[in-house]
Amino acid sequence: MEQPKIGVFLSDCGKQLSEILDFDVLTSFVKTVPNVALIARGSEFWRGKGLQAIIDAVKSGKINRVVVAESLTKISDVNIVQAVEDAGLNPYLVEVIDLKDHCAWPHRATPKEATEKAKAMLLAAIERAKLLEPIEKLEFPALKSALIIGGGIAGMQTAVDLADLGFEVNLIEKTPFLGGLAARAGRFFPTDDCAICIQSPSSDVKTITHTSRKCVYRSGFSEIPNLNILTNARVVAVEGVPGNYKVTIEKKPRYVDADKCVACDKCVAVCPVETPDEYNANLNNRKAIYINVPTVHPQVYVIDEYACKFHDCAKCVEVCPTNAIDLDQKPEQVTLNVGSIVVATGFREFDSSAIKEYHYDDYPDVITNLELARMIDGFGPTGGAIVRPSDGKPAKKIVFIQCVGSRDRRYNPYCSGICCMISLKHASLIKSAVPGADVSICYIDIRTTGREHEYYYERAREMGIKFVKGRPTEILKDTETGKLIVDVEDALLKRFLDLEADLVVLAPAMIPAEGTKELAEILGIDLDTDGFFKEYNAKLRPTETKQRGIYLCGGTTFPKDAPTASLHAHSAAMKATKFLISGKIVKDQRTAVVNEDYCGDCEFCPVTCPYGAISLEPTTENHFVARVNDLLCEGCGVCVGTCPLNAIELRHSRPNQMRAQVNALMSVNGASKPLVLAICCQECGHTAVDSSGMAKLQYPANVRVMKVPCAGIVRVEQILEAFKAGAQGVMVVGCKSDGCHYEVGSQNAEKKMDLAKVLLKEYGIEPERLEMFKMVFIEGNQFAEAAQMMTERVTKLGPLKLMENS
Amino acid sequence: MKSYAIFLGCTIPARQPNYELSARKTLAKLGVELVDLDDLTCCCPPPIQSINLESSLAVAAYNICLAEEAGLDIVALCNGCFESLAMANAALKKDKKLKAKINEVLAEVGKEFKGTIEVKHFLQVLMDDIGLEKIKEKVVKPLSNLKVAPFYGCHSLRPSKLLQLDDPERPTIFENLLEALGAESVEYRDKLKCCGGLLKGISDDTALSLARDKVVKTTKAGADCISTLCPFCFVALDIGQLQVKSKFNEVYDMPILHYSELLALALGVDPEELALRSHKVKADKVLEKIA
Amino acid sequence: MMTQKTEKTTMSFSDEVTSRHGGETLTSCYQCGTCASSCPVARLDSSFNPREIIKLSLLGEKEEVLSGDAIWLCCSCFNCQERCPQKVEIADLIYALRNIALEAGHSPNIYSDFASALIAEGRIVKISKFVEKKREEYGLPPLKPVGVDALNKILSATGFTKPEKTEESQ
Repeated sequence: MEQPKIGVFLSDCGKQLSEILDFDVLTSFVKTVPNVALIARGSEFWRGKGLQAIIDAVKSGKINRVVVAESLTKISDVNIVQAVEDAGLNPYLVEVIDLKDHCAWPHRATPKEATEKAKAMLLAAIERAKLLEPIEKLEFPALKSALIIGGGIAGMQTAVDLADLGFEVNLIEKTPFLGGLAARAGRFFPTDDCAICIQSPSSDVKTITHTSRKCVYRSGFSEIPNLNILTNARVVAVEGVPGNYKVTIEKKPRYVDADKCVACDKCVAVCPVETPDEYNANLNNRKAIYINVPTVHPQVYVIDEYACKFHDCAKCVEVCPTNAIDLDQKPEQVTLNVGSIVVATGFREFDSSAIKEYHYDDYPDVITNLELARMIDGFGPTGGAIVRPSDGKPAKKIVFIQCVGSRDRRYNPYCSGICCMISLKHASLIKSAVPGADVSICYIDIRTTGREHEYYYERAREMGIKFVKGRPTEILKDTETGKLIVDVEDALLKRFLDLEADLVVLAPAMIPAEGTKELAEILGIDLDTDGFFKEYNAKLRPTETKQRGIYLCGGTTFPKDAPTASLHAHSAAMKATKFLISGKIVKDQRTAVVNEDYCGDCEFCPVTCPYGAISLEPTTENHFVARVNDLLCEGCGVCVGTCPLNAIELRHSRPNQMRAQVNALMSVNGASKPLVLAICCQECGHTAVDSSGMAKLQYPANVRVMKVPCAGIVRVEQILEAFKAGAQGVMVVGCKSDGCHYEVGSQNAEKKMDLAKVLLKEYGIEPERLEMFKMVFIEGNQFAEAAQMMTERVTKLGPLKLMENS
Repeated sequence: MKSYAIFLGCTIPARQPNYELSARKTLAKLGVELVDLDDLTCCCPPPIQSINLESSLAVAAYNICLAEEAGLDIVALCNGCFESLAMANAALKKDKKLKAKINEVLAEVGKEFKGTIEVKHFLQVLMDDIGLEKIKEKVVKPLSNLKVAPFYGCHSLRPSKLLQLDDPERPTIFENLLEALGAESVEYRDKLKCCGGLLKGISDDTALSLARDKVVKTTKAGADCISTLCPFCFVALDIGQLQVKSKFNEVYDMPILHYSELLALALGVDPEELALRSHKVKADKVLEKIA
Repeated sequence: MMTQKTEKTTMSFSDEVTSRHGGETLTSCYQCGTCASSCPVARLDSSFNPREIIKLSLLGEKEEVLSGDAIWLCCSCFNCQERCPQKVEIADLIYALRNIALEAGHSPNIYSDFASALIAEGRIVKISKFVEKKREEYGLPPLKPVGVDALNKILSATGFTKPEKTEESQ
């Protein structure tokens, strides 16, 4: 590599800085530093004439490294780096420092010391620039295909959005039919429109007119050529990397050939087996061969392998007019190569049998909202009639009980969010359909927070639905009449009520779908404390996960209503699109790299890496080395901080670069107080320093700041080296423990600092000279206070006495 | 032969010789050795817990220490003693901080709670150590034709997290043990509801209403007698019926017998040896039915 | 000493209760009323309602809670604690409130009798000579000595105060 020729560009920000810092001193100083090929002074260098000066200098070949002292570096360096790249120099050979917020403004009361600090900061930037290496931009393939796991309202919408954009989409559903929970809901609040219609995914390509919705049959979504729908199938394994996942799917046999079935229903007529119909919440029976009615997709019958007698019967085979039934069909494994995966597995009702005093398991007339939804549905098991399952008689007195297993610390502590609206919906529908129905809702709180939900609640009251504020203790049965009695206290009346009921409807908690834990393990994504799939960040990245290329949508992250699920689905589709649209993932190689000669296959780094980017690969027999996946590595350096053998380094934050910075920062003294080194993480720590400067808070100029990607990169020996280099105190400033931008870096750093303190003692250095601080960007005042406090502390301790042979 | 430290509490030795007699005789017949330890005290049941919860916990722990030192598990006859001791045992085993606090107090009397023994209810000893099969074998006078309404009381089952005797909503241990004797266990309304025993002297009207409620409901269900596990329940329902007679002018003639008394009868113990005369509502009807 | 007199001037009543053994879960209550309908006493006596007692405590109505009759009417059946969806230890909470009330000088007289017996003989029911004789007649073994001294040491180490008999009777 050619000799470094460094261009140093000093911006005085419209003469603000030169009022405090002596720019002549700075310029003279920089001139004395070897390898500096050019020095320029100006008002601004991040745009306009100043930026042009940098571009010209690069193009002329005079410089091959760029150091800029600019303000608002987090913003200005984007422009500078881009311009440098356009001018033909590798953009990672640029170092931008902030003499305004990190020097002039916080130390305006001591301009001479500020100038000395500025010298140190410039020297550090120059020394680092000398050691910078070009970093390449890597390209990884991103297959323009997606797998959507879950064929409910959210999954279908995401699938159609992506298919419309031209991606190859595979929609997989574990049950034999699409539709999910929403299809069985009957109607959606607050408009009470038909669920089967509304959950129809809107396809921009197929819809010629701009109508607001099309019933799912008429949406034609199943005919979109690049949308491949697999029902009766589950994901069993996932391998590969983002942009190129290899998914193994197991298809259960349907026993009916989709290409031959004409849905004539003759098979059902002859089937001798009756079994409870789980689609209708076991309120009725179906045959072993069946189809859901109404069917969302596919219009193909299926055989329930647990109920069917197969070749001992085979009556359906005899009558099928197209020979569509194949009782010998076997499970099939399918492998798909996709660029991204979207999880849309939804949620289900909590099993209310756990709350024994409600007798859900042994009183047939105690049902759940889902079962009631099936009853209310005209296509359902009772043709829309509200009846008592025990004797089939019409139910006139209905009592709802909210929060069954929800807001319950013994089962699901959270509020499931949609059950109040669901019960209000059912109560209103019953009141409309059954003249003289007596409907009561027992609640702890009524939560109707969505758009137009409050009007829904108003209407329910106007319809004469009764509300009892109280959670019932028990449901009893009058053995003579068979009627149920709900034992509840109305807290507002302070009266005990024994509500008589024909039917008691429980609003159970909504819990994660069956198989969630297993799927989370297969995909390598996290679950939250309630057991739902965890979004990467609830506010900023609600449909993404920690794994690039794996997205979440719909009720899979938390119970939601239809409008929210729809929003969520479009969001996931958009994110997946951004990821896949160019067909490649471009990422710079500011990643970790292992020196395989040193690697002792101890397994620390694969375990510590928050992104699973490090794997152990066998080299010779019995020997493994760690290898970093450049696509998954986020460049935090936590592995660097963990490795016991110094075998792994972060490109662009190499130990020699960091050492050079520390030495430089400590070498120019001129401070009236003992020197303190502040190692700040680029996410929170360094930005807190920025904000302390922006707010013009004051702290002494002996505090010298160095930026690292994450506090987790700091090694204990670097602390010792800092003291050797002249620091009298060391501060490590990172994110807060529950908010580390790299998941675990801050917590790791804290543990290391505790260890470091023990070692310091052994070296005869007072452990109080080292301290870790945690703060966020807007807590600049905390940085200033910490800097002040550390200065006072080390001043009190007196000069550091290092051991003779250290 | 398994040995247990028997915990009699206060009410049983003073007022319920019938419970103590039947318990000692039946356990002896079934091969359980009972050891009477020195220095046991009151278990500190709810009335004392109402005065000072921490004192009660510490005294309960002290009693457990005595059993720990003897290397014996405890068998309690009274629901109140069972609850007090089993709760203390479970809470101190679970919560290290609490254990440390209590041990500071116990140090003043030279004791230390270690968490090495179990506190069991009389029913648990029968179920776990002896077992339904062995009991069935040993029955010489099956209580056939006898309809018994089992009354668990409150503190054999609740608080269930700490006591862990049986499912607090749908317990079956008592019913199974009654059926092992050949008796028919009768279901009745509100069978797990409190007898009101602890309200005596505080709110006699409420206490009596609760006792009456139980007698009414068991009568309605066709029971020949109510079987109890606790001396407070026994008194509430037994003497309670006399009070019901004088206040409401209603006579139910529902004999109350502890499970141990029924067990004793089924194992062939002579009724004369069981102090059945001490019952206010005489058990003659029951004796006739099982003869 | 384990029990500490609470700083009544600085602490709210709610904090006072939650700092006592048994009272820790007071603030979890969201007034659902399951305890009230589970309670056998509440149905019979409208002056006792566990939900109400908790609400009054949360609102800081210390005088009303401690000087009232209500807290003495709980029969300790634990049905409320068993069924509470917020795991509030209601029955234990009532013990804690009673403890505080007794320290302030309120109590039903019957408790004072129990306490006297406990301190004197280590039992809440005194064993008379008559009882000892009857035991002998029944063939029951003589009663072992009671650890009265140890018991009293423990009571004193935990700040047990014998409630005095007052004019109030329930």
